[in-house]
Amino acid sequence: MKLECSVEKIKNAIVNAARVTSKNLTLPALQSILLVASGKSLKIRATNLNLGIEIEIPAKIEKEGVALIKADVIGNFFSSINPKEQTTLSLENDNLLITTKNSKTIVKNYPHDDFPTIPRVSGEVISIPSKKFIEGFKNVYYAASISEGKPEIASIYIYPEDDMFVFVATDSFRLAEKKVKIKTQSPIPTIIIPIKNATEILRVFDGEDEEMRIEMTKNQIAFSLGSTYITSRLIDGTFPDYKQIMPKTQTTDVVVLKQDLLGVLKTSNIFSDKFNQITLVVKPKEKLLAFKAKNTDVGESTSTLAGALSGENIEVSLNYKYLLDCLQVIPQDSISIGFSGNNKAIIIRGVSDNSFTYLVMPMNR
Amino acid sequence: MLDTKELWGKCLLEIEGELSKANFSTWFKNTFILKEDGGVIQIGVPNEFVKDWLLNKYSKLIMRVLNNNYEYVRGAEYVIAKNESKQKAEEVAPINKLLINKELPLQDLYINKDDNLNPRYTFDTFIVGRFNEFAYAAAQAIIKTPGMTYNPFFVYGNTGLGKTHLIQAVGNTIKEKYPEKKVFYITLERFATDFINAIQASKANSFKEKYRKYDVIIIDDIQFVGKMEKIQEELFHLFNAFYENNRQIIFSSDKHANYIPGLEERLKSRFAQGMILDIGEPEYESRVAILKAKAGEYRSLLPDEIIEYVAEVLQGNIRELEGSLNTIICQTQLKNRPLTVTEIKTFLKNNIKAKKSVSVKDVVKIIADFYHIEEESIYEKTRRKEIVKARQIVMYILREDFNISYPLIGQKLGGKDHTTVIHSYLKIKNDLKKDMGLSQELEQIKALFK
Repeated sequence: MKLECSVEKIKNAIVNAARVTSKNLTLPALQSILLVASGKSLKIRATNLNLGIEIEIPAKIEKEGVALIKADVIGNFFSSINPKEQTTLSLENDNLLITTKNSKTIVKNYPHDDFPTIPRVSGEVISIPSKKFIEGFKNVYYAASISEGKPEIASIYIYPEDDMFVFVATDSFRLAEKKVKIKTQSPIPTIIIPIKNATEILRVFDGEDEEMRIEMTKNQIAFSLGSTYITSRLIDGTFPDYKQIMPKTQTTDVVVLKQDLLGVLKTSNIFSDKFNQITLVVKPKEKLLAFKAKNTDVGESTSTLAGALSGENIEVSLNYKYLLDCLQVIPQDSISIGFSGNNKAIIIRGVSDNSFTYLVMPMNR
Repeated sequence: MLDTKELWGKCLLEIEGELSKANFSTWFKNTFILKEDGGVIQIGVPNEFVKDWLLNKYSKLIMRVLNNNYEYVRGAEYVIAKNESKQKAEEVAPINKLLINKELPLQDLYINKDDNLNPRYTFDTFIVGRFNEFAYAAAQAIIKTPGMTYNPFFVYGNTGLGKTHLIQAVGNTIKEKYPEKKVFYITLERFATDFINAIQASKANSFKEKYRKYDVIIIDDIQFVGKMEKIQEELFHLFNAFYENNRQIIFSSDKHANYIPGLEERLKSRFAQGMILDIGEPEYESRVAILKAKAGEYRSLLPDEIIEYVAEVLQGNIRELEGSLNTIICQTQLKNRPLTVTEIKTFLKNNIKAKKSVSVKDVVKIIADFYHIEEESIYEKTRRKEIVKARQIVMYILREDFNISYPLIGQKLGGKDHTTVIHSYLKIKNDLKKDMGLSQELEQIKALFK
């Protein structure tokens, strides 16, 4: 193998691919990146058997060939080189020789027989704007469960509704739902995609604004955008029927400025206990909206906030971290918080935006 | 039958010897044999990556090893599938970290949202015996030509006899066989709630549309419709819409349509127009078959004599049968040896229902209540027509169903002569031959004793 390419291109590709490699599996091939030089391009592949990625970058190929290199080594190496330069990669005595303007580096090459194939998905093809799709991911992914006990909710659930895609994630304590209008020629079926893979896909494609091709079968989905191809397994299961827990009536409504709320939550951060508990007191008649945080080891604090309040008096406790999470993705300046009783889920939305809904369960006291 | 588990175990042992530990654990962990069909072995793998790899790299090795252990093998296929038994073992350790946080009341993860069917209910796990072979045959006919043969299909039987299993299995099979057909399963209670919500939101039309778009509708526990007049009307219209378009309707109930109290005539007659079938209680042989099937992988721990004993003493409800079996399996695992019949006797003593003893007094009370007359009047010497009839029925039932001697019946019912009792018994017996109304009344009364 012998080829020449730009440091910047190969660095970006390798950094993206290195994230996909697995750290704790016993098979060394899975901690490595496969470089395939053929035709007019260099293909960079990595997989952890959950997610597979292939990135193609332009390169001047003098001699075709394959190399398998430890991902962390080559990733760190290219990050340290001036990205403006060109680099040459070649196999010498079964090791990979990397030459740049000022350096010569030899990296150990592993036998590539053990490197798994990256499945090619051939199924329905859907073309959609990547920006919209990634927006859906971004709005909900933080709410997904991280425990693998229930794979169905350690995932993002995507399903079509009218002309919209609905993205949902929950860890059973809170739930985020985002509806995004996306035009496609053919409707998408329902997808449950593992959250770990979804975050990687989000990271790789974030910032892109092109048409993305999605292909899927019952168990596998593949995204291709530009020269990047990512394939992930899908969860074969059923997402919980969350619609029925959406509170239908609200007894208390609160509208506050997002900036104010963020400020109050910052204070709460200092005084909340180990469960991140804060207590919200709403008394519309007295025009009182107070946030209380108390930690027996530190002290306690009460902050009040101006806002439009209506409905019945209510006092609930919740995990303020859950509140903070959703504030990051709400673009509106005003936040509406709806209560429907002491032990019922709290609804949070951006004012006058029905496309995003966030549910939080209050805490037991 | 080929024991696929054992076969795969042997194969894995051989494969393990030929590969490095890392390779083996990466690629062969979580694989299993899904099924064997005419020499072709389907190997279940956890995901596409493993499937590709086994196919490209190890298919020769796998074929060779399969051949060594099973001479009839002709080929191997790789299918992505979940290993159910593994899955369950993993679920046992729940994570209870933030107990203080309340969970969103999310529903069971298992049921398919589009059609409400539980994929666990299939005909593969449905055991056919004398008690349900009719219902099973009818169900098969429906699957062959949905909407044409028996429409509507009405199954009734006591709780825990497999009604829900049967009708859901019909739904699941139709779905599998005719992917274009839309199947929908709902319990009457959900149907009613849905209807009420639709009315409240003044969206009655969208409610109608929602249900009319299906090709097969399955409504469970229809007996509760008795008290809901509006729902009956809606059901009536839904029924007509389905029936006219030859779309299949399936109901289940715990009693015959004619005995659902408060059910309107027009619905009764419509239910009767297709096929009404009952699922009875499983007889001894079926109970043995059910227990053997349910024991599944624990079969080796349960000798036949235990299964036969359990089938002998536990009669009736399949659900209770299953519960008792679980107790036994659990105890066996705990003790790590097969249990003796004596031990099982002690475990089961709470589950064995004593044969219900009904006293003469109870019979009189039930029948008096049924005819809305005073209980005491049965014992008195009145000759009012309605009381005479009730009294005669009491005598008939005591003789026919409880086998009490004529003189004793007479004595218990206020000192009547035994010839009076004989006369009453014969009279009712004769009337039954002519009077259909009377025999229906008797059926209803008998149902009250259960």
